[in-house]
Amino acid sequence: MANKSVWSDNRFWQRSAAWVTGFASVLLIWLTFDTSAQISMGNDADLQNGVTKRVPGPTVINYKITYEMSQKRGHEVPIIGGNDGKGMSLFQEKETFFGRDDWSEEEAAELLHLGKLGTQAKNCMNCHTLLGNGAYYAPDLTKAWLDPAWGPNGSMQAMTGKDTKEEAMAEFLQHPSQYPTHERMMPNLGITAEEAKGIVAFLKHMSSIDTNGFPRNFAKIQGAVHGK
Amino acid sequence: MFEPFTDVVPSFFGWLNQGPLTLTIFLHTVIILPMIWIYYQEKKRLENEN
Repeated sequence: MANKSVWSDNRFWQRSAAWVTGFASVLLIWLTFDTSAQISMGNDADLQNGVTKRVPGPTVINYKITYEMSQKRGHEVPIIGGNDGKGMSLFQEKETFFGRDDWSEEEAAELLHLGKLGTQAKNCMNCHTLLGNGAYYAPDLTKAWLDPAWGPNGSMQAMTGKDTKEEAMAEFLQHPSQYPTHERMMPNLGITAEEAKGIVAFLKHMSSIDTNGFPRNFAKIQGAVHGK
Repeated sequence: MFEPFTDVVPSFFGWLNQGPLTLTIFLHTVIILPMIWIYYQEKKRLENEN
């Protein structure tokens, strides 16, 4: 058999497929460990020592969190406790959360856990999106804490008649159907005062997670950071 | 053409994901180049068989 083409030779395709499959397997296993390391939660010591973690420790609820444009990275990044001027967190400026800025690591973790269970029990993702998971029937909650509508002079805070962001959010969560928002009004899910507190803590912690700018254009949509 | 690496945590996968060019170069390196190598090996083998 003269001049048999390599392209029609089975061994060429077998060896190519074996190489690609094997290499991809190694790459995916490596990616799994790399991801695990990057998404592991920090702790209180990290915050106190000024160590930037992609997912900060639970005591981040004691700090002021802002969302600021990083010229270097080309999108907004969560800044915890003040900006050092170079787009990195200073971890200094505190902010009271339900009247306290000294939540211990255990208390904060417990509150976040309650909030996480609350968001799962009430199935927030049925309408909202959390960290990319969920629906877009209702607003994306990944950075909801940073939405100025809930801040001082914000329309949502004014609507609930509360003095602080966390109290306004907790009030809304307990009686959502009392407040006119838009056509897709949130139903009353029977969230208790303690659950609402936990859920707001969960949202505040979530807003401090560095999501590489996700959701894109959050800062440019109406009502959000820098929005009109 | 090449953007500066700006991820918060430096990682091989972060570099890979900076844009289409880095991904293209990477995939050509790990798929196309070995396939060219395998191609010539198999060609040589078929010629020797004849």
